[in-house]
Amino acid sequence: MITPPKPRPEASAWSRPFWNAAREHQLLLQRCDDCRQWIFYPRIACPHCGSDALGWQQASGRGTIYSYTVVMNNAPSAFAADVPYVVAVIRLEEGVQMLSNIVDCDPATLGCDQPVEVVFRRLDDEYTLPCFRPLAAIGAPR
Amino acid sequence: MHRNRGRSAIVGIGEVPTGRFPERTAIEGALQAARLAIADAGVRREEIDYVMPTGTLFSFQFGNELATARLVEELGLPGVGSNCQVFSGGSSSTNALRIAAALIETGRARCILFVHTDKLGTGVSAQGGIDLFSTAGISAEWEVPFGQHYSTVAALATTRFKHETGCTDEELSAVCVSNRKWAELNPHAFFRTPLTIAEVMNSKMLSTPLRAKQSNMLFDGSGAFLVTSAERARDLVARPVYVLGEGGAVTHFVYSQEPDLTRFGWAAAGRQAFAEAGIGPADVDVAEIYDSYPIYQLIAFEELGLCGRGEAGGLFLRGDTWPGGRFPCTTDGGMLSKGHIGAGGSVSLMIEAARQLMGKAGARQVPGARFAVETATGGTYFDAQVTVLGTEVP
Ligand SMILES: [Zn+2]
Repeated sequence: MITPPKPRPEASAWSRPFWNAAREHQLLLQRCDDCRQWIFYPRIACPHCGSDALGWQQASGRGTIYSYTVVMNNAPSAFAADVPYVVAVIRLEEGVQMLSNIVDCDPATLGCDQPVEVVFRRLDDEYTLPCFRPLAAIGAPR
Repeated sequence: MHRNRGRSAIVGIGEVPTGRFPERTAIEGALQAARLAIADAGVRREEIDYVMPTGTLFSFQFGNELATARLVEELGLPGVGSNCQVFSGGSSSTNALRIAAALIETGRARCILFVHTDKLGTGVSAQGGIDLFSTAGISAEWEVPFGQHYSTVAALATTRFKHETGCTDEELSAVCVSNRKWAELNPHAFFRTPLTIAEVMNSKMLSTPLRAKQSNMLFDGSGAFLVTSAERARDLVARPVYVLGEGGAVTHFVYSQEPDLTRFGWAAAGRQAFAEAGIGPADVDVAEIYDSYPIYQLIAFEELGLCGRGEAGGLFLRGDTWPGGRFPCTTDGGMLSKGHIGAGGSVSLMIEAARQLMGKAGARQVPGARFAVETATGGTYFDAQVTVLGTEVP
């Protein structure tokens, strides 16, 4: 079977700054100038108060694993060669959640609520994905 | 009393077996199901004034043919004022019934034919099915690039639910066994041989902790139902299935944006549906709970109030949800055993709820069933849709 290319994110005009920053290994999040809420994923207007006044701020890049799974079999064609790989929902310190991959880890050691930090994985010239890895000192004071 | 309670009713159901039928085209399945529903209700074809097909996934071309009135012409329905597709993925049946009921209640329609058909068993390849479901309803920008697909979607909810409630792999596997017990009694189900918890727990690991036999498989299938006013229903059939209450909650599009992967919107949707119906969870005789994966059946069962948080797994394990048990659940076998037919997963459950209340469920009939609850959810479980049906209006 021919492995199809990895699916690309298909950025919108208002999410472009997120992907441009990811390419430079920075995790940027939108933040509302009016209600001060952090926003992920990028929106055309604030989903909390409807304001158009959205800015970008660098995020901490730290969070915890809300949930995760290790893909072992029956992956989509483009990911079949990657198994086992880890898909996770990350709760960032800023209070937003995002789907990502957990890399640089032994999947057997992962658990819910474990602290993680962002790390970047290049997809192609245009897109780099923000992924996460376990914080080195697991069990250290949070 | 809620103004809409019991003002419309399902009066006819039709269904063809779910499975792999390379010789049965999607339109043939649709027409057979529709004709069975029309005959079941005993309505004249002239009476049908609204045709409501839902979405078909295996072929964009064929789906468009249904959206542009192919069924009206093929069935020869002369009195149809509207042919309008209603589609929300897996929750299509419940959303369609809600819209149909509203059209009936306001007098905008008198007799509505809802039809689903799809050919995901023989109309697409096995890997094509996996690939279709790695993108359908999953955010192309925020999740597809990370390898999200329906196994990971279900596994993410399962991991967190186990973490928070202590639910075990054995309990999750018991959901599959319970659904299989019912499928053994359903001639329209694909998987009808007995299944054990050990077989489920020893099956191939897909995405931890989700195993192959905890995962649905895609098949061909078609179903239809007819909705009319309560008054007309009493003229037509001996046991109308009244639409008593409905509730819904849309809680995300991108799966990571779901605030609580262990609850979703079921509690609010259930409260709304039961309040409108004028009954409570304790009055439910049969619960047709959307499965697709065991985790969703457990969560919805608990969040609707049919039992407490963390208690559903034990009920499925001890056989309370099996044939003859106190809480008959997903009595057609569900997507896990009857088979996943796209938007038709919940159409099957809606038809089964009506079938049980009509007293037409044969070997799996729940004796004396008066009230049924049906649930449905679409995409990556973006919504929680609940319908309460009954043979009487409380
Ligand atoms: Zn705001």
